[in-house]
Amino acid sequence: MIEVRELTKTYVLDGQVFKAVDNVSFVIGRGEMASIIGHSGSGKTTLLSLIGGLTKPASGSVLIEGKAIWSMSDDELSGFRNRKMNFIYQFSSLVPTLTALENILLPTAFGDHGENLVDYARELLGVVGLTEKENSYPSHLSGGQQRRIAIARAFINKPDIVLADEPTGDLDEDTENEIIALFNRMNKDAGTTFVIVTHNKEIAALTGHQLKMANGIVSDISRA
Amino acid sequence: MKKIRIFTLAARNLRRKFIRTLVLLLIVAVVTGTLLSATIFISGMKNALRIGTYRLGADVLVVPEKNESQAKAALLAGEPTSFYMSRDVLKKVQAVEGVGKATAQLFIKPASFTCCANVDAFLVAFDPKMDFTIEPWLQKNLKKPLTDEEIIVGSSIPVVVGDTLPFFGTPFTVVGTMEPTGMKFFDQSVFMTMDAAYQMAENSKTKAMEPISINRDEISAVLVQDQENFNPDRVAIKIEHDVAGVKAIASDEVVSTVRRQLGGLLKGILAISAVLWGLALLMMGFAFYMIVNERQRELGLLRAMGAKKGHVFGLIISEAVAISIVGGIVGMAVGSALLLSFKNLIMHSLKLPYLLPSAVVLIELIAGAVLFAVLTGLLASLLPAVSASRMEPYEAIRKGE
Repeated sequence: MIEVRELTKTYVLDGQVFKAVDNVSFVIGRGEMASIIGHSGSGKTTLLSLIGGLTKPASGSVLIEGKAIWSMSDDELSGFRNRKMNFIYQFSSLVPTLTALENILLPTAFGDHGENLVDYARELLGVVGLTEKENSYPSHLSGGQQRRIAIARAFINKPDIVLADEPTGDLDEDTENEIIALFNRMNKDAGTTFVIVTHNKEIAALTGHQLKMANGIVSDISRA
Repeated sequence: MKKIRIFTLAARNLRRKFIRTLVLLLIVAVVTGTLLSATIFISGMKNALRIGTYRLGADVLVVPEKNESQAKAALLAGEPTSFYMSRDVLKKVQAVEGVGKATAQLFIKPASFTCCANVDAFLVAFDPKMDFTIEPWLQKNLKKPLTDEEIIVGSSIPVVVGDTLPFFGTPFTVVGTMEPTGMKFFDQSVFMTMDAAYQMAENSKTKAMEPISINRDEISAVLVQDQENFNPDRVAIKIEHDVAGVKAIASDEVVSTVRRQLGGLLKGILAISAVLWGLALLMMGFAFYMIVNERQRELGLLRAMGAKKGHVFGLIISEAVAISIVGGIVGMAVGSALLLSFKNLIMHSLKLPYLLPSAVVLIELIAGAVLFAVLTGLLASLLPAVSASRMEPYEAIRKGE
């Protein structure tokens, strides 16, 4: 369960304090598929980063399975991210010097995952339909293929939570549908909790829990 | 498939930016090579000076006053020379307070020897009864006195034990080769007894193309060993005071002459090395600052995947250390090769003694140079690595976009 309590994140822009996330509170249940929708600059990405422990809030707290992530040390939080969650970005997030398979396995370099995950990485490659691209470098993959590799990577550590920031942006409709179908399958099969940031209302409509965000404030919360 | 490690990432990054890696590697190589060459160079000169001074075996060298510069040139640069003074000088020197032992030597400048066309060899005759400079070597290595038909030669004379060498028409058998000292005076000399030199001069009248003449009442130098508790410099002053027409050169003075010459050279080399090192540090530091800056997003993404601060720090440091190790080894190899190739040319131009340091010292210097290269890389990348590891993951990803 993700519990966000009175979360605020401020920036100083041209000497003025700007609230990117303003006193936001909500709860996303375990195994839920949630979306955060809103216009560009509404604070969606910042909110997602706060939930993922990538940036520190000015005030408030984020509890995951009852544990306040900002009470952890930096190393503990890194380890927590490595074991419990993973991210999907709206841009190409592959490391250019690693092959597709190596990129998928990259998170395992930062923690002990106990088992040899190479076979699982290949299985994920198959899931995203890129088995034949195992040894290809990102520069030899199309934008859509790179995105699919990044999505496969998001599942390599078998995370409890996947935080996706515009995961289907720039992709064609077919690929978009494939990816949403994959999210649904992982959600049902593995019980993975998804928090998807999107400005696409159709994608948001596919999630059972929608949070609407504007000017740093979560203004409307609806559950299916 | 092998597990992906931080070093895999570092190695792949270096390979990807091949030109930049090559430039950084060359910077490290130039600094390491210069530093190592300079260190071996200076160490070699000090080594030669130490061994040469020991081989001289005397605290003070007494020569004719007017031939002081020739004597120093012979000792330090190995320029063949011959000068003479009265044998009475030996007795007068023996009588000076503080003089323990004193022995005479004759320096005979040869015309040319069939053996040594490329070597400025010259003959040194000593008195076996009173000698304390060559005799200890003979007792240790030859275990018998040198006869009037035998010679021992310096390490640069291209002969082997058992060879026969004719000098001014008199054949001599080589019975020993001395170890190299790096000082031409010793390495290019042929040592014989005083009686052998007189006999050779006598024989030359009928057997040599260019006869020589040696006056039995003349000697070239007196070598002095001080009494215990006497300072060589003070003994030298006393000799010059008591014996007219001579210059007494303390072995310390020979060393200090070279040290003076070395001093300027050393300062120059140190200044160049320091400037090079400073520049290398700045350039590498700047390069790693740029590397961190352009890879902010990638580093932020690694942090989001669970990389700890230590992983990011290790990644940047690994790249710097890898460059430094390879650059250090390349610099070490090229620097040593260049130094060895041009050693003779450098020494000839500088007119300074030189003896390659021992293998142990060389290994120490090489290890030190590579270690220094690694430290340079570490130092240059330390700040960028710390700054990279301290970046907030979200900020790094955002700024890197």
